[in-house]
Amino acid sequence: MPTKIEKDSLTGTNTTGHDWDGVRELDNPLPKWWLYTWLVCIAWAFVWFVLYPSIPLGTTYWHGVLGASTRAEVDRDVAAVTARRAGVMNKIAAEPYDAIRAQPALLEAAQTAGRIGFANNCQPCHGAGGGGAIGYPALAAGAWIWGGRVEDIELTLQHGIRSGDPDARIGQMPRFGADGILTAPQIEQVADYVMTLYQTPRKDAAEADVKAGAALYAENCVACHGENAKGNRELGAPALASRVHLYGGAREQVVAQITQPRLGVMPAWNQRLDAATIKSLALYVHDLGGGE
Amino acid sequence: MSDHTLQAMPVVYNEEVVRKFMIAAMFWAVIAFTLGTYLALELTWPTFNLGYSFTNFGRLRPVHTSAGIFAFGGSMLFGTAMHVVQRTCRARLWGGPALANFIFWGYQFFIVMAALSYVMGYSKSREYAEPEWHIDLWLTLIWVLMTIVYVGTLLRRAEPHIYVANWFYLAFLITVAMLHIVNNLSLPVSFFGAKSYSLFSGVQDAMVQWWYGHNAVGFFLTAGFLGMMYYFIPKAANRPIYSYRLSIVHFWALIFLYIWAGPHHLHYTALPDWTQTLGMAFSIMLWMPSWGGMINGLMTLSGAWDKLRTDPGLRFSVTAVGFYGMATFEGPVMSIRSVNSLSHYTDWGIGHVHSGALGWVAFISFGAMYYLIPVLWKRPAMWSQRLVAWHYWIATLGIVFYITSMWVAGIMQGLMWRAYDSFGFLQYSFIESVVAVHPFYIIRMIGGVCFLAGGLMMAFNMFMTIRDPQDSRQGFPSGLAVAGE
Amino acid sequence: MDDDTADAAVGVAMVPLCLLGLLLAARAHDNEIYLFGFSLAAFTALFGFSLIKRHYDMKDRPLPATPVQANDHV
Repeated sequence: MPTKIEKDSLTGTNTTGHDWDGVRELDNPLPKWWLYTWLVCIAWAFVWFVLYPSIPLGTTYWHGVLGASTRAEVDRDVAAVTARRAGVMNKIAAEPYDAIRAQPALLEAAQTAGRIGFANNCQPCHGAGGGGAIGYPALAAGAWIWGGRVEDIELTLQHGIRSGDPDARIGQMPRFGADGILTAPQIEQVADYVMTLYQTPRKDAAEADVKAGAALYAENCVACHGENAKGNRELGAPALASRVHLYGGAREQVVAQITQPRLGVMPAWNQRLDAATIKSLALYVHDLGGGE
Repeated sequence: MSDHTLQAMPVVYNEEVVRKFMIAAMFWAVIAFTLGTYLALELTWPTFNLGYSFTNFGRLRPVHTSAGIFAFGGSMLFGTAMHVVQRTCRARLWGGPALANFIFWGYQFFIVMAALSYVMGYSKSREYAEPEWHIDLWLTLIWVLMTIVYVGTLLRRAEPHIYVANWFYLAFLITVAMLHIVNNLSLPVSFFGAKSYSLFSGVQDAMVQWWYGHNAVGFFLTAGFLGMMYYFIPKAANRPIYSYRLSIVHFWALIFLYIWAGPHHLHYTALPDWTQTLGMAFSIMLWMPSWGGMINGLMTLSGAWDKLRTDPGLRFSVTAVGFYGMATFEGPVMSIRSVNSLSHYTDWGIGHVHSGALGWVAFISFGAMYYLIPVLWKRPAMWSQRLVAWHYWIATLGIVFYITSMWVAGIMQGLMWRAYDSFGFLQYSFIESVVAVHPFYIIRMIGGVCFLAGGLMMAFNMFMTIRDPQDSRQGFPSGLAVAGE
Repeated sequence: MDDDTADAAVGVAMVPLCLLGLLLAARAHDNEIYLFGFSLAAFTALFGFSLIKRHYDMKDRPLPATPVQANDHV
């Protein structure tokens, strides 16, 4: 289509004279405010290039006249927050638990550090308030496997459980079913007996099975879980005569645990948290309701 | 038929492939909106993932983003590009009907294969570039063919000049090809296995990914859809483009500046400071060039604003330009490092993306489709203008729900994550910030339901328009407002 | 290049793609490649046949029903 410049009747502006499928263009100039705003943006950008690290120069780069660095910035921020906490945290790290408890201000700081530390690190497994879940101990319930004094808790926090840390708490349970130590019917009998320890009256279990189970328990389980089934904290053997069961108290859960035990892992937190935070956590966990 | 018979006749456009792309775009739009709403539901109440691996958030999210960007957006761009290039060049599509058809079906094949691979658990873990190497190669083939057809048509044009919409479509085709190829360079473990490893590693890998990711937004979702805007707004409004000079300046400025802005996705990371500063400064310089498109779109309507009362389709296009202006202002603001320290990793980012995706990309596409469907199927108008108006209002409401809830949620997350108490300990744990945004996730989901409802209205309207060959205009004479609005 | 030649070239190109799909499916190490190869073979085969059908359909219909003309501004 030939170029034909026309005057647009509505605006009185000339067109460029092109026509594509009926689409034409007006010959308006660039809007002034648009152009000037853009030039200001460009000027701002160039000021920024001068002030801040910006231009690559081979193996180095222009560092900017302000000497700004995000790496230095984060170091400064971390140092500032550490300094802010240092007063209380150094005391928490240095003083024994009784002394911390005796000073209300220090105790409040430890509880605050413990609360936020627990929510960010422990809560994903142990649940809000230490309620626990299948496979994750209920910390508020008082059913301690490795001890519920605040010192015991601190030790567990530092080295973890089966964590690979040389001082980790390590408990083992044989795979009674998977390794053929007991037969499947025997395991069911043991389960029937174990369930009488916390479910009374026990229904749906034949008297004979419970008796046989008790005999098997005396042969195989007593060494760790104890004669009265109160467990053994030295070995990390949980109390079975308890309302709280780490891997569940239903029959199929008990059978599964005897057949092929699950042995959970807790990280060694001394790799990640400082001593004062771990002590604060120990206090916090102790005070959740189950502490001894 | 051969070229010989054609020369005796006027130019016969290949509209069949455009029609197919429009149907596909509508189909994928509904899929993308449905999945988006479902994922919003999963985020609000995670049990709705039903516990299957293939309905898990991690696997469905790339299906949603790919269905939105590549399937819906890509089908719109390919379809309208083929339409616009033929019309504005007065030339039939180069390469013949079989090639155009192969591009259509090959592109759909890419989408289906990519979606299936995601739900089967295969992913390159690169955002917006999740398909594994063999699917990437297939897309490369289709993309190169599309570019050849496009350039071939431009070369056989009967017009002396190339219209501005075509510059944008061409920039989209060429740059996305380059981005796609470089970002997806990877080594397959085996020629007969799906798994591959990226050629890049560490911070270079992150930089290449965000050079791609940012410019996928720039050249796929901005330049491509600006091409659409430059043809369909003047056509629907029947007005000339406001300023030819502005279109030249803002086109070249946009093309030159956009490609440098990627590092602003990696503020406060291992990326060197100088790269971060460049990414931020180029984002600021990009603000006005982006707005050039908005000015040209809005000012084109001067003298024709009354059309908005009678043409709800045009209303979509104009609102799209408004959202475009808002998102391209918000973007440079969020790229400023100190703002980014608050907004990064929060739902503000999700809100920003969706004000662009729903407000700009989807709305400009709806506007183009409401214009194009009657043209392609030779109908006097859409089956129901009133349904178009309903679609407009419910979709706009959905966007408002979406972006306002994500602004509040995002800023709240950012503030909670950085709050310290008087002892210098974090005031909130991460999980508390998750609990705090829950009500806003519900509002976001309601926004998604609104947007999906609008999409279903549109699909129904499109179906009825195509099915009914008669003049089925609903009886609203032009110049009168639609009753009940 | 006229359209008939181009269409024929597209049809011929389906053959190696289809064979590639079969090769991938036959030697696949995982389900994904198997599905991709098989789908590629099926897609290209169907597309090839549809081209042949289309070609003969067009022969039966000498002129397109309503040609859209460049100067008819819709």
